[in-house]
Formats: sequence, C-alpha cells, structure tokens
Amino acid sequence: MTMMTAEQYEESLRRLNLVVYMFGKRVENVVDDPIIRPSMNAVAKTYELAHRPEHEDIMTATSHITGNKINRFTHIHQSIEDLVKKSKMGRLLGRETGCCFQRCVGMDALNALSIVCFDIDAKHGTEYYKRFVKYLEYVQENDFTVDGAMTDPKGDRSLPPHKQPDPDQFMHVVEEKKDGIVVRGAKAHQTGAVNSHEIIIMPTLSMREEDKDYAISFALPSDAEGITYIMGRQSCDTRKLEGGAMDQGNLLFGGHEALVVFDDVFVPWDRVFMFKEYEFSRQLVEQFAAYHRQSYACKVGVGDVLIGAAQTAAEYNGVEKASHIRDKIVEMNHLNETLYCGCIACASEGHKEASGTYCVNILLANVHKHNVTRFPYEISRLAQDIAGGLMVTLPSEKDLQSPETAKWLKKYFEANHDIPTEHRMHILRLIENLTLGTAATNYLTESMHGAGSPQAQRIMISRRINMQEKQRAAKKLCGIE
Amino acid sequence: MDETARVGLKYCGGCNPEYDRVSLVKHIQESLQGKVEFVKPESEGVRLILAVEGCSTACADLSAFQRMEIRTITNIQDSEKFIKEIRTQLGSFAD
Repeated sequence: MTMMTAEQYEESLRRLNLVVYMFGKRVENVVDDPIIRPSMNAVAKTYELAHRPEHEDIMTATSHITGNKINRFTHIHQSIEDLVKKSKMGRLLGRETGCCFQRCVGMDALNALSIVCFDIDAKHGTEYYKRFVKYLEYVQENDFTVDGAMTDPKGDRSLPPHKQPDPDQFMHVVEEKKDGIVVRGAKAHQTGAVNSHEIIIMPTLSMREEDKDYAISFALPSDAEGITYIMGRQSCDTRKLEGGAMDQGNLLFGGHEALVVFDDVFVPWDRVFMFKEYEFSRQLVEQFAAYHRQSYACKVGVGDVLIGAAQTAAEYNGVEKASHIRDKIVEMNHLNETLYCGCIACASEGHKEASGTYCVNILLANVHKHNVTRFPYEISRLAQDIAGGLMVTLPSEKDLQSPETAKWLKKYFEANHDIPTEHRMHILRLIENLTLGTAATNYLTESMHGAGSPQAQRIMISRRINMQEKQRAAKKLCGIE
Repeated sequence: MDETARVGLKYCGGCNPEYDRVSLVKHIQESLQGKVEFVKPESEGVRLILAVEGCSTACADLSAFQRMEIRTITNIQDSEKFIKEIRTQLGSFAD
C-alpha cells in the first residue's frame, strides 16, 4: 500500500489500541466518538483529496526514496516547487475543512529530522540518517498520519530542564538499555494526536550540556505501551453531542488537541533520531518551527471560509451593497491574502540543505506566522461586525423545530423573503463556530500560540535580520560612509 | 464521424481556483458530444493533454508530458477555444 483512501484510513485507526480519556472516562471507541469524529473526518480529507484528479497535483508527490507516488504529507521536500505546493495544500485543505486538519505537524517533523539527522551524523559519525530514512520509508509505504510532538509542559519557565523540581516537566531519558531507551514526560497541546498512527518526539527548546538527557528525538507507534492521551476541551464542544444539524456550525469537520503522557515508555534504538546531542536541539527546534510556521498557510483557507460566510451573512441580511460592508469585506480579503503572500514567500525563498531536503526561508516563515498571530483576530472581528449580534443570541435549532416556537423564529428572524430563515441561522452558526466556537480553538488561539507564541517569532526575526546591511544602506545614502 | 479522441486530462491542484474546474470539464465533454474521452494523462494512446489550471499561475506539473501536445485552460473563455479547436480537428458535427 502506498496511498490509503479515506475509508482505509478510518479502518486503520480502528485497529489502534489507544488509551484515551475524556470527561474523566476512558474512550473505548475513539473513531466513532461524536466529539472526536469531526477531527477524524478532517484528517480523512487529506487522504480523500489525494485520490481526486482535480487535487492530486498538490496532494501527492513522488518519493525520493522509492519513486512511488505518495501523499504529500509523508514527503520530504525535494525542490522549491515542493515547498510552494505545501503552502498551497494548506490553503486548499483549510478551505475544504474550515478547521485544522492536523496532518501538517508530522510532515514538518519528518522534514526537520531529515536535515538534522544528516547533520548530526556528519559531526559525530552516528547513523541517525540511515535509521531515519528507513523509518520514513515505513511511514510513506503505509501512508501514516504522524503527530509531531515538540511542546513539553515546561514547569517553571525560569528554569532549564535539568533544574526543574520535577524532572518530568521535560521529556527525558530515565533508563538506557542494550536494545533501547526508556523515556518519561509529556507533550502538551498535541493536535490530531488520537488520529495519528505514529508520534515523533522532539526537544522543545535549545539545550545545553547539563540538559543532554532531555535532548532526545524518537518515533513510536501512537498506541505504544505507556502512552496515555487526555483530550482537551474546546469551546461549545458538547454541541456535538446534541445530535442536531445546525448549532455546531461546521457540520462535518473539527480539530482536537490532547495532553500526551509518556509513563516510562520503551523506545528501541532504531527509532531514536537524537540521543543527547544537545548542540543540535536548537537547530531541530528552529527548523521544525520554521516548517510548521509555514504550515499556517491553512489559516488562509479557513479565512476563505470565514470571508465567504461573512459575505453570505451580509447578503442574507440585505446589507451587502452598503459601502462600509463592502469595505470590510475588502479588508478581510486584504488581510487574508497578505497571509497567503507570507506562506508563498517563505517557500519560494527556500534553500537546499546538506541532506538534500529543501527548507523554507526561516526569517520569512517567522514573519508569516507572526502575521497569523494577528490577522485572523481582525478578520474574525470584521466577520462578527458584519454578521450582527444575532450570531450570539440565536436560539437553539430545537426551538426552530418546536411547534410552539418555530413560527416565531421563522417570522422574526427572516430578513430576506427569498432566503429561508434556516439558511440565515446556519451561516450565523458557522461564523460563531469559527470565531468563538470549537473552530476558534484552531483559527484564533492556535494561530496565536501554535508553532510558537508571538514572542518566539520575534526572537527568530531578531536573530535572522541582517541589521548591518540595513545600516550600511542608510549610512551610504546620507553621506556617513 | 465516429472517431473518439482520447485526451489526457491534467488538473492543477486547485488550491484557490477562480472557477469550477470540474464543472467546466463536464461542460467541455458535453459540448463535444462524446467525441472526446477524457482519460488519465498517463494513459496509453494519449497524444493530447488538456491542462485545466485554476488560475493564470498555471502551476500543474506537466513535466511528464513534454513530448505531447498540450492545451491549457486557465479560465472559462479558454474552454470555448478548446472546444472550437477540437471540433475543427474532428470534423464537423452537430452543435
């Protein structure tokens, strides 16, 4: 098998034996759980589109290892064109799902490791790259979804890993064995964790020699013994339990995050990609983060959905020709396409690393993600402005179905006689979902903190800016030099 | 005329298309009244590739088809030119 269908993906998840908890109870059937299932649907879309002729040019690639046609989410970028297509794929899937489709993070981990493993070997004469390529081929041939896990809980932020009162606040080695290592710790905010076949662990920050026990990277099956998933809540999540077809806003797709706990988990050596080479932790963090900041191209696609919803709401309200509404729609598009510029630019300005992998321009990827921490909030504000207050005061769809109240809702919430009141309610619920419901988790707060909080990007921007050259140009023009 | 031309159909990835590419292909097929069979571009016997691009960037990867004739559509107007060309090549048949 090289490329799974959406149906095969779903069946493959049923074969996993994940330990998942939610609302204080073990989830026995993860795939069919009504809270989790929309997120599975979103990942399944990445499989479905790869088989559709009208999308395969973006969704598939040719493996540089086997020459086989593979899903782009398992591909190692071999050219600038690959990087650009990755950004385009993000927009496409964001628009098709209106949410986080969760699969980019594994692709980003694979690409970062393809560079760093090669570089560690070059310095230390290790064999990580050989191991990694073997693992990559396994992922590609099985078309796995991989969770890329970087964020440790971090405990006291003022202390490095080795000085934490609780050493488990950062993933670390607790035992070395002849056939592998035993690790303990946790990874927080793991998007798509329970929809993944594999999980790749990476260190969360730059390490010094004192922290070398924490400078580890490895891959495991997602259902390896000792791994426990505790699902995060999302605003309005229990609307998915109500069984309706309106109030959840996005009727098909969603995202999820989980805390992933590793309680003395064994990792065989052939799945270890970094072991105490602390001086490479910064490179892995920076390159993974750069790829993942590019991946926020997805928010452009979600922005497309929100702009489309805002325009539709304006038309249903009969205000679409008002000059201030038209101007707000222009502003939303301006912001959204500015985001698109960033994700295309960092890809177009990418470069080839020693391993042969193409990496995005790290400065531009950080600039792009920094814009993502801001613009979706303004796009959302404008969408709420255009939608009107009804998006948060609208009664339940059950009131629309009740014989006692339906007539009043249809009468008083009708704005345009040619538009069914139900349609107006549907579009307002979608705007609510995207700007303060379950999807806001991904469109807003994930935009803020996912792939690094704003300050992380500012640090990277300050590191990467060539200030001397700017000063030289200024001084030359005014006669100082 | 009974001849049916096999045309390899190659879409761009459709990241942000400016028109409905799949509907346009259906329109082309209907307009040509069965005189054209759209097949996978790598199929045997294909001499002509129709590249259906969602915008003028036209980023579909056509590198595998460089030895073939390629026609490119980047908007709805282009499709009418393609229909006219195919009709001319295959001889007249009723509109």
